[in-house]
Amino acid sequence: MNRLPVRSRVLTALAALLVLGTFFVPLWRIQLHAPQYPEGLGMLIRLNTITGMKPPDLDNINGLNHYIGMKTIDPTAIPVLTVMPWVAGGLALVALLAALTGVRVLLAGWLAAFALAGAAGMFEFYRWSYDYGHNLAPDAIIKVPGMTYQPPLIGSKALLNFVADSWPATGGWLAAAAFVLGALALWLGRRSSAGVAATRSGVRGAAPVVAVMLVAALLGCTTNDPAPIAYGRADCDVCRMRITDQRFGGELVSQTGKVHQFDSIECLANYTAASSSPPRSLWVSDFEHPGTLLPVSRARFIRRAGPSAGMGANLLAVAATTDTTALRAKFGEVTAMSWDDIRALAVRGALRERFGDA
Amino acid sequence: MQILKTRRFWLGAIVVAGGALTFACNRATVATGDLVGGDAASRVYVKPGEKDELYAFMSGGFSGQVSVYGLPSGRLLKVIPVFSQNPENGWGYNEESKPMLNTTFGFVPWDDTHHTELSQTDGVPDGRWLFINGNNTPRIARIDLTRFETDEIIQIPNAAGGHASPFSTPDGKYVVSATRFSVPIPNTDMPIADYKKAFKGTLSFITADVPGKLDIAFQILMPGYDYDLGHAGKGPSDGWFFFTSYNSEQANTKLETNASQNDKDYIAAVNWKRAEACIAEGKAKTSPAEYVHNYMDEKSRTAKSETKTSVKMLDPRDCVGVVYFLPTPKSPHGVDVDPTGEYIVAGGKLATVIPVHSFTKLKKAIEDKAFEKEIDGIPVLKYGSVMAGEVQKPGLGPLHTEFDGKGYAYTSMFISSEVVKWKLGTWEVVDRVPTYYSIGHLMIPGGDSKKPYGKYLVAMNKITKDRYLPTGPEMAQSAQLFDISGDRMKLLLDFPTIGEPHYAQAIPAALIKDKQVKYFKLAESTHPYITKAESDGGISRTGKQVHIKMIAIRSHFAPDNIEGVTLGDTVYFHVTNIEQDWDILHGFAVLGATTSELILNPGETKTMKWVPTKAGVYPFYCTDFCSALHQEMQGYLRVSAAGSNVVLSANISPKAQAQMAKATSGGAGK
Repeated sequence: MNRLPVRSRVLTALAALLVLGTFFVPLWRIQLHAPQYPEGLGMLIRLNTITGMKPPDLDNINGLNHYIGMKTIDPTAIPVLTVMPWVAGGLALVALLAALTGVRVLLAGWLAAFALAGAAGMFEFYRWSYDYGHNLAPDAIIKVPGMTYQPPLIGSKALLNFVADSWPATGGWLAAAAFVLGALALWLGRRSSAGVAATRSGVRGAAPVVAVMLVAALLGCTTNDPAPIAYGRADCDVCRMRITDQRFGGELVSQTGKVHQFDSIECLANYTAASSSPPRSLWVSDFEHPGTLLPVSRARFIRRAGPSAGMGANLLAVAATTDTTALRAKFGEVTAMSWDDIRALAVRGALRERFGDA
Repeated sequence: MQILKTRRFWLGAIVVAGGALTFACNRATVATGDLVGGDAASRVYVKPGEKDELYAFMSGGFSGQVSVYGLPSGRLLKVIPVFSQNPENGWGYNEESKPMLNTTFGFVPWDDTHHTELSQTDGVPDGRWLFINGNNTPRIARIDLTRFETDEIIQIPNAAGGHASPFSTPDGKYVVSATRFSVPIPNTDMPIADYKKAFKGTLSFITADVPGKLDIAFQILMPGYDYDLGHAGKGPSDGWFFFTSYNSEQANTKLETNASQNDKDYIAAVNWKRAEACIAEGKAKTSPAEYVHNYMDEKSRTAKSETKTSVKMLDPRDCVGVVYFLPTPKSPHGVDVDPTGEYIVAGGKLATVIPVHSFTKLKKAIEDKAFEKEIDGIPVLKYGSVMAGEVQKPGLGPLHTEFDGKGYAYTSMFISSEVVKWKLGTWEVVDRVPTYYSIGHLMIPGGDSKKPYGKYLVAMNKITKDRYLPTGPEMAQSAQLFDISGDRMKLLLDFPTIGEPHYAQAIPAALIKDKQVKYFKLAESTHPYITKAESDGGISRTGKQVHIKMIAIRSHFAPDNIEGVTLGDTVYFHVTNIEQDWDILHGFAVLGATTSELILNPGETKTMKWVPTKAGVYPFYCTDFCSALHQEMQGYLRVSAAGSNVVLSANISPKAQAQMAKATSGGAGK
């Protein structure tokens, strides 16, 4: 019988250990940011329970949530939390068996089950957070028409005065690493045949390269994304004013990955006009979807008349795909400009009317 | 022409007057340099969001409290209630804190605080506690610096005017209290004219190193003088304590004249290690003395009061070598030991010099028995045999001295209203700055310890006059911050203070700021009437007493509709703030209550006692703005006529219903 090579079995054993590690560290972290919580507020999802990042955090989140009519987050009332330890335990056990016996099918089955469990877990997380975020008490104290409070599955989202960050915690990364190790083990232990044996050394050489590329791709992903703007806490890098309005705002990510944030499109434009080095990426707040950022290449800019917006140049950004008739209905007869137009205005100094040379 | 001449005359007069004024000014401010340094603003500016470098704890004087300021900004951070009732947060009004103000004279709602003293380890402030004395009804309080709350108060028996207090030994084992007024001991009815015959002073040593256990270790019976200030020896002089005294004339009337006749009064040098030895040998008498010890029970956050009945009294005649008198010019106030422990500086407030004693010489004089005479078993050492030097012409009215750790001493001059900087060892004056006006004590952070922090000096002035916008006949007291990092003192800032800050101490913020309690853990509270969950609230009656257990959380009370109280009942509102979040406080007030509101820290239970006097419906509400719906945080209590048959009831909130349902189903499941 053709068994897995030793190095695959070692990797599989390692994967089993990483899965076991998820019993001791939180899988996921949901953090809430608001000016009144300089010390932070958040919760940790573990295999079998949900806890506050600090002991009273969960009660405090529930206390805040009662204003918007959300249900109390009660870990004992979430069935999946009773299932997850068994699933993780089972996965660890099967991986351990695969490592001990070297049976390839076992490893392949493990990978499939892991993928399935992961997908189911994320789906369940989504379903749960959807229910909490949408299923609000009819007599809620604060009702904002159209507003729901589902935290993002992954990433960052503004929910009233809070910005919610949802990211894998140590346990989540452990699980991901276990899966990658398992996949690597299976790939390195492909059924050997005459042809394969010849290429094995090549594969051995390629593995680290692939790993490095994977890591690089991961890093690339994280740094190319805009960092969420912490509304109400961050200050504009140009005018030093607090960034508060989620409909306006801009962000520049430099070549080195440094993030600059602005409270208006004009501040962003003036910054780029004055800067000699080209940025890696530029982002602006989507007026139609407050709190989300658009790359400038996919935005159209409108100079609005009437009450002041942003820094006084009355610039706002919408997605380039926004229907022109809808825009007309909302803003009247407007000229939609591109980022290049805005930048040209900034270079000419046309966006400095309010704050002048200050 | 006539007009011109007149003008010329006036012009001349103005020039002459101006010249005289300039001359006078020059004389008055000789060698003061810049009054306000050019960069003063930037030295005291603490940007929004940034924090001060030091905490300064200032005695609240006749307010009876302690105020906490940030330095160098001079911003008021907190007023800590100590000896005086404080309606702002219910201190001394709510049932939990009332026992803290208990004394053998009953409930005393006020005192006069004088000196703050940070707890010490090895002669250096450690940031654990702050001690403060009450002068009028002699007491010492210990304030916990993780909560900025008064935790403990001990009354000093056989004493009147606890002024020379609460200075600490370098190891923190004792704090002391000496009597400003001599009185009959024990205090009994007798003619005041018997002062010389029968009035005595006492020096009390209070064990202070175990929280909750302040106790009078022993007292030393002293001649009937006025004891003023004190400081422990340190380094080579560790084991000794020094107290100033005045009125060695033993006048009992018109002291301003009659107690100012002797050329020298005394510093009492107490060998407290020797006192301990004598007590161990059984040389102290156990004498009856009633005094009260109050402390805050940590778990229930409720004060307890106990009365003690005796003290150990040591007569110097029974313990040779326990006290010596050091002759010191003219009614000395401060007695301050330099960081090395060698020099003992006295502030003879009517003297023309600042006398400095040497500890080395003191020991030698005792060895050589260089005694002038003996008073009540206390040898008086010869002035010349103990004197290290005198600072000549320092100014008028030297009061109090602190040290910068770089070989310099700074003495406050009340009468000439200035701070004088002089060099230890050479006794020469090197700098002086005016203060506005009439400085009492001064303070250098750590300036009375083994390791002064230096850098700043705070002058605490007795008179304010025109320094701030006028506010009627009474002005806020005035503190002034000086930079002492250079050769010359530089005035940086004036800031107003509460009460009259007799003395202050300051400590680097780093020693305190990171160990702050942010809320009290509900689960750990042992308060007998705590309500830990909404479903635990309710109402009960024992005879004429009605107890209401209630929670406060953003943004409601539960229960919030209460009926069945009748006239003649005494109502106790036990309100628990069940928040477990920093700085989320609630308040509680009832229409017509003849006491203060309650202010509730997170996790804390406080009780308001209320005797309704008229039938009707009484609203109650939250007084500490807690949340967006703070204005909705309210409820009603119904009071019916005596004998009414309205059923005693408290409504159940939806949340409490849910909690009860869950508890029931959980119970059924088990």
